[in-house]
Amino acid sequence: MDLSVRIGELLMPNPVGAASGVFGYGEEYEGLVDIDALGALYTKAVTPEARAGNAAPRLADTPAGMLNSIGLANPGLDAFIADKLPALRKRACAIVVNVAGKTEDDYLRVVEGIEAEEGVDGYEINVSCPNVAHGGMAFGVDCALIERLTRRLRDAADAGAKARARSGGPSARRPIIVKLSPNVSDITASAKAAEAGGADALSCINTLVGMVIDLKKKTPTLAMKTGGLSGPAIRPVGVAAVYRVSRAVALPVIGLGGIGCADDALQYLLAGASAVQLGTAIFARPEAPADTLAGIRAFMEAEGLERVAEIAGLLR
Amino acid sequence: MKRFDAPVTSLRPIARDYFELRFAWKAEAGLPLPGAFLTVRAGGQYDPIVRRPFAFSCYAPDRGEAAFIFQKRGRGTAWLSGLRAGDSIDVLGPLGKGFSPPPPGSRPLLIGGGIGLGPMLYLAHQLAKEAARGSFEAPVLALGFRTEAQLPKLELPAGTVLCTDDGSAGFHGSVAEWLWSFDSSVPPALFACGPAPMMAAIDRYAAARNAPYQAATEQWMACGVGACAGCAIRLKDGSYKRVCADGPVFDGSLIAWED
Ligand SMILES: Cc1cc2nc3c(=O)[nH]c(=O)nc-3n(C[C@H](O)[C@H](O)[C@H](O)COP(=O)(O)OP(=O)(O)OC[C@H]3O[C@@H](n4cnc5c(N)ncnc54)[C@H](O)[C@@H]3O)c2cc1C
Ligand SMILES: Cc1cc2nc3c(=O)[nH]c(=O)nc-3n(C[C@H](O)[C@H](O)[C@H](O)COP(=O)(O)O)c2cc1C
Ligand code: FES
Repeated sequence: MDLSVRIGELLMPNPVGAASGVFGYGEEYEGLVDIDALGALYTKAVTPEARAGNAAPRLADTPAGMLNSIGLANPGLDAFIADKLPALRKRACAIVVNVAGKTEDDYLRVVEGIEAEEGVDGYEINVSCPNVAHGGMAFGVDCALIERLTRRLRDAADAGAKARARSGGPSARRPIIVKLSPNVSDITASAKAAEAGGADALSCINTLVGMVIDLKKKTPTLAMKTGGLSGPAIRPVGVAAVYRVSRAVALPVIGLGGIGCADDALQYLLAGASAVQLGTAIFARPEAPADTLAGIRAFMEAEGLERVAEIAGLLR
Repeated sequence: MKRFDAPVTSLRPIARDYFELRFAWKAEAGLPLPGAFLTVRAGGQYDPIVRRPFAFSCYAPDRGEAAFIFQKRGRGTAWLSGLRAGDSIDVLGPLGKGFSPPPPGSRPLLIGGGIGLGPMLYLAHQLAKEAARGSFEAPVLALGFRTEAQLPKLELPAGTVLCTDDGSAGFHGSVAEWLWSFDSSVPPALFACGPAPMMAAIDRYAAARNAPYQAATEQWMACGVGACAGCAIRLKDGSYKRVCADGPVFDGSLIAWED
């Protein structure tokens, strides 16, 4: 049985990854999660400058889910390269850097900065961030912008791969994975825009916009008022998105949103996902990624499948 | 730090809406020290999805047992309050940085309000043992309650000061008011856990007395291990710290209590 998954030139040892933002840069979960046994680790978003994050409180509890408004708190590009990347490089799993910014140039600076470094296997582009040039509207709601941003990042990563090859380093062309926002009227339009811009893969979904109001205080619970909804509550939204997107484009789709066990992951794989990520479920059960992989393996054995990609073919 | 399933050894009500939950502690996970905490799953497979944090209220290595004291507040703690001896809880811990020893020659003043009861009680027992061996004075524990009905049915260290807002038992007033009335000729070292207004009042007292102040803080958590930056707490200088990994015990003079 072959559990590996190919995303462009990137070969993930298995289809189960840890989603961006829930896993930091891996180090905090050392000893709780067998990080080397993951298919991929998607880092916390990296922005050009360090970000302190949003005002507190940043979390709220919801039925079968949670809201977060972390605000892309991260140490910034230079500190990521100096302090986080050395440990990530030694991991056996694929390392995908989640990229974010306030402007298109921010995204470009992060990808260009990391292109000069070894030990990163791909980029996941978080287009759910507010775009300051457009009054804070998310990049992901504008298809022309998604296409242009994707093309600029693809070009930068191509240039980086060539430069590394010239200096005798590893020349792999790192995939650009565009992470789609569900907060749009037609997610397949975003998917097609990313495909037109040269994306190598898509991941879906990011969190849904939500609000909780504290009845005692009569204020929104989150300091930022709204936040991103994640967890089991959003799984049906994610499965539907993957089903539609995987039929609208020819790119591999990485499914996430509310996955906590193999049965959840199998719904995504049947819907057309090539791989999956676990986010919020890792908070609840750090063993969830390992159990999910074991369950997928057992399913493939029972169904007599050789490759993960065959799972999608079973959907009637 | 480990994730393990622990049998509940006892769950008993100790005051209105307050419970003490004792459970088997796995020694390999590490020492559950005062000020440190654990997180538990408090419900079914999917709901609530986020683990609930609680501070340790004791550890008895001889019995292999740890405990926390919790207030029934919402759905997670309601679920916990229905547990019985022999049931199993899903524990992750010990997490966070606990209290540091008081300076030599000081008098530790331990202030607890509301759900701060558990960690302050644990610390009081620990410091009483250590004070007997020397370097600082015996600790004084002061606990604040709204009214007599809230007083816990627990064995409290000798000399514990009870304060009630309505004067129905002990000192009439808040623990902070008691603090100002306490005549300490020995330099005090403050330790506290409780609601933000109480913590802010102690900050003002500590500043006036130029006393060190170790504060156990609280903030909503998701991962509990420092990975998600969800549990941020604001400092007076405008920066943020993670309660779970940088704390939960901080130098109380640095925290922006008045937020
Ligand atoms: C480090 C730490 C140590 C703690 N130690 C204790 C303890 O020893 N004993 C104890 O009773 N409680 C303690 N708490 C608080 C405890 O975690 C919450 O009361 C509990 O999570 C509530 O869960 P619930 O599902 O019953 O409530 P929910 O239904 O989720 O909420 C009920 C109410 O509690 C508030 N709340 C929930 N979680 C928190 C939180 N983490 N911080 C502040 N407010 C919260 C909500 O805003 C709401 O008003 C601690 C919290 C932290 C962060
Ligand atoms: C605390 C938290 C922080 C997150 N940070 C990021 C981030 O930095 N970049 C990003 O693309 N997605 C981020 N996400 C979204 C997740 O990667 C994921 O898309 C979403 O949570 C849905 O998956 P889940 O239901 O399995 O959690 C974050 C989610 C959570 C809960
Ligand atoms: S709860 Fe995740 S960093 Fe503290």
